[in-house]
Amino acid sequence: MAQDSARTELMGKLQRACQNAQPARIYAELNSLGEAPSPTLPASSLCEAFLINVLKNQGTVACTSNRSEAVKAVAEHLHSRFRTRKLVAGNDPRLAAMPWRDGAVLPRFGAAEHGENASLSYACMGIAETGSIVTYTGKSNPAANNLLVEDHIVLVDTATLVATLDDAWTQINKDQQESGRPRGINFISGPSSTADIEAQLVKGAHGPRSWHVILLGEIPEDALSNARNATEA
Amino acid sequence: MSNIPEEQGSAAFLGNVRDSLLETDKVKRRDMLGLFMPLVRDAAVDQFDQFQDLRKQVKGVKQHTLDNLHHYLSQFESEALDNGNQVHFARDSSEMNSIVLGICQSHRAQRVVKGKSMVTEETHLLHHLQRAGLSVVETDLGEYIIQQANETPSHIVGPALHKSADEIRELFLKKHDLGERELEGPTEMVAEARSVLREHFLSADVGIIGANALIAENGYSMLVTNEGNGDLCANLPKVMIVCTTLDRIVPRASDAMAALRLLVRSATGQPITCYTSFYSGPRREQDVDGPIETHFVLLDNKRSDILASDYREMLQCIRCGACLNHCPIYIGVGGHAYGSVYMGPMGSVLTPLLDSLEEAQALPDACTACGRCEEVCPSSIPLPDLLRDLRHEKNREKLTPSRWRLGMKTHAWLLARPRLYHTLSGIGIPVLAWLGRKKGSFKSLMLANGWTDQRDFPAPQGKTFMQQYAAQRKANNGSR
Repeated sequence: MAQDSARTELMGKLQRACQNAQPARIYAELNSLGEAPSPTLPASSLCEAFLINVLKNQGTVACTSNRSEAVKAVAEHLHSRFRTRKLVAGNDPRLAAMPWRDGAVLPRFGAAEHGENASLSYACMGIAETGSIVTYTGKSNPAANNLLVEDHIVLVDTATLVATLDDAWTQINKDQQESGRPRGINFISGPSSTADIEAQLVKGAHGPRSWHVILLGEIPEDALSNARNATEA
Repeated sequence: MSNIPEEQGSAAFLGNVRDSLLETDKVKRRDMLGLFMPLVRDAAVDQFDQFQDLRKQVKGVKQHTLDNLHHYLSQFESEALDNGNQVHFARDSSEMNSIVLGICQSHRAQRVVKGKSMVTEETHLLHHLQRAGLSVVETDLGEYIIQQANETPSHIVGPALHKSADEIRELFLKKHDLGERELEGPTEMVAEARSVLREHFLSADVGIIGANALIAENGYSMLVTNEGNGDLCANLPKVMIVCTTLDRIVPRASDAMAALRLLVRSATGQPITCYTSFYSGPRREQDVDGPIETHFVLLDNKRSDILASDYREMLQCIRCGACLNHCPIYIGVGGHAYGSVYMGPMGSVLTPLLDSLEEAQALPDACTACGRCEEVCPSSIPLPDLLRDLRHEKNREKLTPSRWRLGMKTHAWLLARPRLYHTLSGIGIPVLAWLGRKKGSFKSLMLANGWTDQRDFPAPQGKTFMQQYAAQRKANNGSR
């Protein structure tokens, strides 16, 4: 009861303080305010801009042109970091269909558990503006897979790269029209980090200590070397 | 259960300032912060060509949102309900605290993990839950450190930046079972906190987080963190509670994106944080993880009054902390001196509005009128103007000493009569200059002891500005 009265009281106070125009007028006014500008991308190629920003976000990257190469890149990362072939991956049909044998990778499909070394996510998209990858929570990528492991490995299809945060939401809205609203939408832009002790940046706060992005598809030949040059300078 | 820190009113501000200026070690760290944070913010802003246009667009949308808050809040509520949430409204801190406690108790929850949220600092939620016998752990590293030290945040973004690495090490050595480990350096300390907090995440019954934005068009809340602690709170426990306020509402996802671009650059100089997450509600039928029950608790705590007042623009604050990092007073005295949950320029405006002007009357004076806060505020809030308005109100409500008010009145009367003012100052200033001609300054001055108690008053150099100006004009005209 107290709850209802709090709501009624509050809404009443807001109503008195607001213009209370018709919704159509409100939206017309909102639309007249124009669109927010986004920052200029650091390169004209989406792939290169995305790679530059992933590197700036303390991520590591690999470029692959087909699924077999991608599996091998996963294997290489697992071997160099943990001397293992195991990882956990969500029940994503695209991941189920990967040629795992090409890299002798042994995936376990499901949700990550505390203590597991590495997880693999297939990103819904990559955002060039911020060097972020996007995942939706659900069977194909349980939230734990983004958070509980030491290393988070992410596959990103070049075909799913978008330029800006706004473009990402345009795609998210499109996806939602088809399959409803996911519980969670995660923009991930680097390994978990903190600067809470004397403002010094430390990687591996609560989530993954390392973040490895494998770009998959048609990538301009010099994109990776350009990106490395741009971030090392 | 830890002790509850004694609440300090901002009434104690001046005393606190005196104490805090004596802590040389902390003064040095604050000076570093005051140099370093503006640099990283400027670098990030400089890389964004149209930053001023972005600021203007966001300002327009924020203003529009507040003008139509009733509409957008109703829309958010209905979308959030459709998404499967329970939505609660709290008039004040105690209502929010009891709603949250009620939810925890209905699930017989014992263990609660909390993400960083200034709103729950405002309501002292942690202590309310602890008093009811719950185990509550702050999981943002900075918040965890100050929880262990039984302190309050000194900064709205970096709550433990007042502590040295050595102090934090001592704290962990005291509070954690470390055996032989020494915890050399921040990396080891972060690893230690990580392993301790991981256990809490895995065993928690309820997760509490804040929100950086509430998106009206789809009912998602936006959470911005670097550590990922908020996401662990939002995804692992069976119950998730989002504690936030009405002024976080934005109409569209694109408006949240625009605000995000401003927020992160202004707060930490990043183009984006490691984790930017959007949560809509409980787990869906096909999901294998996520909370089973989710709640929004929306706190008013006088925000609806602020909306109806001349201080409405303060509701556009996105809590980035840039005004703190750029304020000579904040950098000089530190966040704890304010004795309030919010500090720095935004805190000096907000605290009198949330508590009372009478209790927080020292805070609007904590301003040099340098204007840096307004310059860097991503929401272009005219903080110096709002502080001046509060000082004005203080005067009107006779909260200032009567002698002070009489002085102000006399001064105003004189300023309204320029001829008389120029005549009197034309006599007074040369007299002062003559009196101070030997030492060049005054150790004390009648009627201005408040000023000369702290520093010497420089003696005027000859004539008044207007006299010099008139003389120069005459000379220039003559030479033409």
